[in-house]
Amino acid sequence: MNDVLAGLALTKRFGQTVALGGVDITVRAAEAVAIMGPSGSGKSTLLHCLAGIMKPDGGEVHLLGQRIDAMGERERSALRRTRFGFVFQFGQLLPELPAEENVALPLMLGGVARAQAVRQAREWFGPLGLHGMETRRPGELSGGQAQRVAIARALVTKPAVVFADEPTGALDQTTGHDTMRLLVEATRHNGASLIVVTHDPNVAGWCDRTVEVRDGRLLAGGVPA
Amino acid sequence: MNLDLTWRLLKGGGRRGMLGTWLTLGAVAVSTALLLFAVTANFAFEARGERGAWRNPVAAAQGQQAVAMAGSRLDYVRDREIVIVDLAALGPSTSVPSVPPVPSLPPGLPRFPAPGEAFFSPALAELAEELPAGQLAARFPAMTGVLGDEALVHPEELVAVVGHRPDAPVMTAPRGADAAPVRVSGLAGEPSMDSQGYRVLALIGSILMVVPLLVFGGAAARLTVARRDQRLAALRLIGATPGQVVGMTVAEAVIVAFAGVLAGTVAYALALPLLTRIRMGGGPWFAADLWPDLPVLGATIVAVPLLVGLSAVAGLRRVVVSPLGVAKRETPPAMRFLRVLVLLAVLAVFPLLSRESGIAIVAVAIGLAFLSVNLVGPWVVGIIGRITARGARGPARLLAGRRLVDDPRSAWRTVSGVAMTGFVAGFLALLSPGAFAGDAVPGQLRVVVAEGSPSAVADRARDLLGKAGVRATVKHSEDVVAVTVADRDDPAALDRGRTVLTGLVPGRTLTTGADDDRMGTQLLADVGVGTVVVLSVSFLVAIASAGITAASSILDRRQTYGLLRLAGTPLTVLDRARRTETLVPLTVMGGGSIVVGAFCATPFLFGAPNANGLVMLLVCVALGFGGVLGAGALSRPLLRSVTTDPAPRPD
Ligand SMILES: Nc1ncnc2c1ncn2[C@@H]1O[C@H](COP(=O)(O)OP(=O)(O)OP(=O)(O)O)[C@@H](O)[C@H]1O
Ligand SMILES: [Mg+2]
Repeated sequence: MNDVLAGLALTKRFGQTVALGGVDITVRAAEAVAIMGPSGSGKSTLLHCLAGIMKPDGGEVHLLGQRIDAMGERERSALRRTRFGFVFQFGQLLPELPAEENVALPLMLGGVARAQAVRQAREWFGPLGLHGMETRRPGELSGGQAQRVAIARALVTKPAVVFADEPTGALDQTTGHDTMRLLVEATRHNGASLIVVTHDPNVAGWCDRTVEVRDGRLLAGGVPA
Repeated sequence: MNLDLTWRLLKGGGRRGMLGTWLTLGAVAVSTALLLFAVTANFAFEARGERGAWRNPVAAAQGQQAVAMAGSRLDYVRDREIVIVDLAALGPSTSVPSVPPVPSLPPGLPRFPAPGEAFFSPALAELAEELPAGQLAARFPAMTGVLGDEALVHPEELVAVVGHRPDAPVMTAPRGADAAPVRVSGLAGEPSMDSQGYRVLALIGSILMVVPLLVFGGAAARLTVARRDQRLAALRLIGATPGQVVGMTVAEAVIVAFAGVLAGTVAYALALPLLTRIRMGGGPWFAADLWPDLPVLGATIVAVPLLVGLSAVAGLRRVVVSPLGVAKRETPPAMRFLRVLVLLAVLAVFPLLSRESGIAIVAVAIGLAFLSVNLVGPWVVGIIGRITARGARGPARLLAGRRLVDDPRSAWRTVSGVAMTGFVAGFLALLSPGAFAGDAVPGQLRVVVAEGSPSAVADRARDLLGKAGVRATVKHSEDVVAVTVADRDDPAALDRGRTVLTGLVPGRTLTTGADDDRMGTQLLADVGVGTVVVLSVSFLVAIASAGITAASSILDRRQTYGLLRLAGTPLTVLDRARRTETLVPLTVMGGGSIVVGAFCATPFLFGAPNANGLVMLLVCVALGFGGVLGAGALSRPLLRSVTTDPAPRPD
């Protein structure tokens, strides 16, 4: 099968709070999955467990058949750098770096020479509608533009999975929709899977599948139809 | 109204917020302790000068009633100096002072000594007891009483006050130019020239210490703000008025600073016993000298929190001006090349200066050079950043370089303390004196014979020495009698010689060449001690301020750091970037300041620079680098802690 990422019977508690109460979820290659649910239902926790940011208390996470939840922090960190991409709500761009260097940074961390990394980074600006923004710094970009730079940064390493936690939560609705559509299209176009947490049913509409979380459990959609 | 909310903000900052609060408190405490030291040092020298004033008698003015004759001279025992004060009361009739007039006594002198009486300082009394009488005690009349501390410059001082008749030879015989006893109307005297000189030196030292302290205080205050500005911006967004925001910040900063001042005062009090052991001017200090007077203490307790509050307001201006001010970051306007021109202009003055220039001009020029280095600092750091960023291949250097370009002022703040210390070290290294080149003959005592025949004096000396059984050769020239003890390297033999020959020439003591150079050697030694003290303080400040700024820069950027880390950026890269960010400007600016400092010292250079200075400089460089790197390493756990949060958000 072409399952890229799979979480099996994931559980996570914070003290008395059960954030995840046994979640099974599978994501296929180039598939876009929306995670929805009320506030506090465990969406972010699920995302963090799948992305190797957090260790689940129980259950397993597999990336392309390899178990990743048992790895040490160093290995998971390397994995996040090379196989995953991230788009957060805001604040992920380094304010002192020009946009193109922000995008090139993950490549440089992977050992790509600087000139090469910047050249590769620039190729993303046109398709994402960021023409001419290459040397601007994050403070000089609009919120939507900054998020598109973040999308470029998430995709530049050709990751297997892109994780996005309410990536348009800080934007107005129109800009948010434009940005989200770009995110879904760009990941699909690159053959990467997308796992996106959102509150917006419209956004979920552009994804291949929607997963509903309630009180740390999935109501529906954990496994592709 | 605000106070309640402020208190909750202070407490509710969470663990990390509390950490920032503690750091600020610690920084204020360190600054306060050092500030108290820098300030009281001046008062301490002043107090010494005033306590010593009575041995520096001032002749009664025309028309004033003279009540006594007073004069002081120096004698020596082992390698120590004895101040001998000769006093004689002037009665209504000069011949028989049957009714001793009562000139107002200096504090610490129990009563005016009658002829043949002597008061000793406690240290002299002890030493006279300890050494055989023939080496010390026999030089004076038997001890009548002990001088109180108020009459002493420092606790280990050797002082003898000896009473004479006004017509005794010791009072009337000619002495050196300004040492002759004078008729005085009171025993108050005036602080000596030396003590004035020490006060000037102390003032220069204080300035060199206070400037970095102020920079440090500013950094500490900004730390409070760094933690708060996001939250306060949020408060602004929900409609708090600028007044309320300012009020809360100031209240918070002042509360923390006040606690810091109290802690610093306690720390200073605890350090006092150690500080009194710093030897200056031949001895340690009275604790009371180094403890600040109530007005000084009060002013510090009020002024420091006030300054911290002001600094906090300045730091908050951005938030107050615009609620979005903090979130938005734009390319900073380029800094002016003008700053460099200012430095060059100031430096151009130095070759025109010389050792003959007035002290005020020199002080102003040094102060200006010092400030210009501070002015040029951020500009140079920006340039360094641009070069580092341009040449960077790996991510760490790129991050470091861009950060330097983005906020050269904050990077400069991290290293400025050490760079400033570099200036001081460079300046002092060049001036640091080597051994004092005296041409003393060991074991030889000399005395000038101004009245009468030197050969007669020499004969009397031979006679006295012979009777006492001290083996020595006596020679005389036109106006000098020189006595060389046989056992040149035995200090006891020398002191026996001194004691036997006491009063050989009335009003004069026999001295060795080393004794005569004493003033110079003492001054050089004191300058050396002062240099070490000033450098230690500025290093302490510099390193503490490097640590504080490193911590606050992590707290400032914790969200970005956290998110980078989530995206898989290795901690080592972030850490290496941070280190580069300090090391590169530290190397360039530290080196630059040393060179500028040394350049500023060249007009005052006498002789070739010596190895002492170079060694001191190398030690400083090693300490500076080690300290700043160590301070940065200390904040590493903080970096780790802010980056392990799986959901970093501004708090
Ligand atoms: N670090 C933590 N410590 C304690 N409890 C936590 C922690 N992180 C999450 N929780 C709790 O776990 C539950 C799930 O949190 P999670 O952040 O996953 O919710 P969410 O669905 O992402 O909510 P939102 O839509 O508001 O972001 C919540 O009850 C939350 O309070
Ligand atoms: Mg969430």
